Amino acid sequence: MSGFPSTEFALELVRESDSLFVRVTGDLDYDTCDELVDGITEHLTGDGTPPRCVRLDFDGLTHIDSSGLSALLLVHRRAGALGATLHLDNRPDFLERMLHITNVLDHLTGPPPGSRSGRSAG
Amino acid sequence: MLVVDRHGGLVRINEAARLLLPDAASGDWLHERVPPWLSDAHRRICDGLSDAGSGPPTGRIRDRFLEAHPTTGDDGDVVWWLVDETDRRFAETALLDVRARSEILAEVSGALLSTLNAGRCMEMAASMATEHLAEAAVLVAPPQGRRHPLTFARRGGPVTQTVRQVDVSAVPGLAEALQGFPPVPARWIDPADLPDWVVPEGFTSPVGSVIVTPLPGHGVPAGALILLRSGTERAFSESEEVFARLFAARAGAALSAARLYTEQAAITTTLMRELLPPALHHVHGVEYAGGYRASKDHERVGGDFYDVHPSADPSGETLVVLGDVAGKGLDAAVLTGKIRNTLHALLPLAEDHRRILNLLNGALLSSHHTRFATLVLVSVLNRDGRTRLRLTSAGHLPPLLARADGTVEEVATRGTLVGALPTVEARTVETVLAPGETCLLYTDGIVEARGGPLGDDFLGTERLKRALAECAGMQAEAVVERIQMLAAQWIREGRHDDMAVVAITAPRASSHAGDEESGRNGWRNT
Repeated sequence: MSGFPSTEFALELVRESDSLFVRVTGDLDYDTCDELVDGITEHLTGDGTPPRCVRLDFDGLTHIDSSGLSALLLVHRRAGALGATLHLDNRPDFLERMLHITNVLDHLTGPPPGSRSGRSAG
Repeated sequence: MLVVDRHGGLVRINEAARLLLPDAASGDWLHERVPPWLSDAHRRICDGLSDAGSGPPTGRIRDRFLEAHPTTGDDGDVVWWLVDETDRRFAETALLDVRARSEILAEVSGALLSTLNAGRCMEMAASMATEHLAEAAVLVAPPQGRRHPLTFARRGGPVTQTVRQVDVSAVPGLAEALQGFPPVPARWIDPADLPDWVVPEGFTSPVGSVIVTPLPGHGVPAGALILLRSGTERAFSESEEVFARLFAARAGAALSAARLYTEQAAITTTLMRELLPPALHHVHGVEYAGGYRASKDHERVGGDFYDVHPSADPSGETLVVLGDVAGKGLDAAVLTGKIRNTLHALLPLAEDHRRILNLLNGALLSSHHTRFATLVLVSVLNRDGRTRLRLTSAGHLPPLLARADGTVEEVATRGTLVGALPTVEARTVETVLAPGETCLLYTDGIVEARGGPLGDDFLGTERLKRALAECAGMQAEAVVERIQMLAAQWIREGRHDDMAVVAITAPRASSHAGDEESGRNGWRNT
């Protein structure tokens, strides 16, 4: 198997007052998507008040597959359950195209469903 | 220490030697009190015969093993220093045993790990157990339903395998061993308690001693091993029991590896079989062909699928589905199965794609995960030589149309993926295929196949379109073959995800090989 020289996946999480900033670098795919979900979930459910908004910065994203998109949907669901809004910043073209084809951009970046109660319908 | 005079009379005997020879006393004849190996050695020394080179004489006195070192005094008396070598001798024997056993264990692991066939692995384990441990061995595998696969082996006899409903609680310690609990010591198992099924055919003599030991697997027990010796052989010693456990540990590890592999292989095979292209070349005047190339990483079989559901009568629509489930492995396979079954059940509603997709979406939603699927629905109707398509994408890559004039169009249908959002939106697009034109459905494994001259480029939609542009007028199967070849040449030896393609082709009226011209002119048969 030829290894592809791709940027190593990295996650950088910073909490600043109301916002959780998440920098995603490398390939967000089947192998790495759990790391994203677990990392953000930890910050959402950790001590203290949950953030009002989660900002994902995709400037360093090199590739995303269906598992990666599934992870974004899960992050959105968990953030939404706590009343937090998701922002997807610096989206590369391939991410934009994937969000367009799958028709989930509005859903992912829309206001949280009910701003309090437990789980969204989906 | 003994002091013996030149005539063989005991002169003195110290406390330590008295423990060894309690009946001996000064004045006794040596040869009447000690075994010949020592009295003979004494005689040889007194006769002036040298034992040089052969080392000190050694032998047993009662249950001790001794080395005798002589020292001749000036008066002709010989002082015999008896050195107790029993423990060293015991240690040496034990060491040899240990060496032999570790060689056996290495051989066991080597032989068993070289097969990934669970049945063959059990056969070899039982057979090797009779070679090294016992006269007969029975390997009891974890139950399949109510029945246990059993492997019987007898030293020098054939190995037999069967699957039977047996009462495991009738064998002391077996039920525990099958759950992975530590084995019951052999001396606690009364051979008379053994039920008949445990004794292999041809093992005629009564059972003398028994060991029941678990086969520890990866996290779960891989079964249990029962070892039998007949009454005429000596019973299992403690060290043999320990060795049996070590043997079982090696066999268990190999067996569970084989079993996991067999399961994985069976799942993969099932998935592949399910995904074999449906044998539908021609349904109600339209050609269909599909191709699927599974990822080379077997544990990473993804969830690409396609189905063609022909209508009962020619005047009805045939529904074609091609989809891709997020994720890989078993999770993806389960979701794929669910989608295909649900869609099959929803066939009567196929007139309304959006409704089908919303019903499917509802069936797939789970509060535990956001695993989704993207798919394309195509309803095909061939009437009066016109092939009409209704296409709806649910978050999937747009279908491509290979027109007769060599152009390629992306179908402008777009919709939401299914299985993760509360509701889905979708727009259905209608189009007509002229004879010789093809509609191509494909999964992202095709356009995201990595390869090319530098080895790291995506094949991409543009290259796919260029290849498809050359497919005008070709039969559905040829189109699929062409696209598969394009992808195969692109990735060469590289790794890839699942790749699936389906071609829907309106046949060229009388599809003779030389009809190129008439096809291009839109000639139509009636």
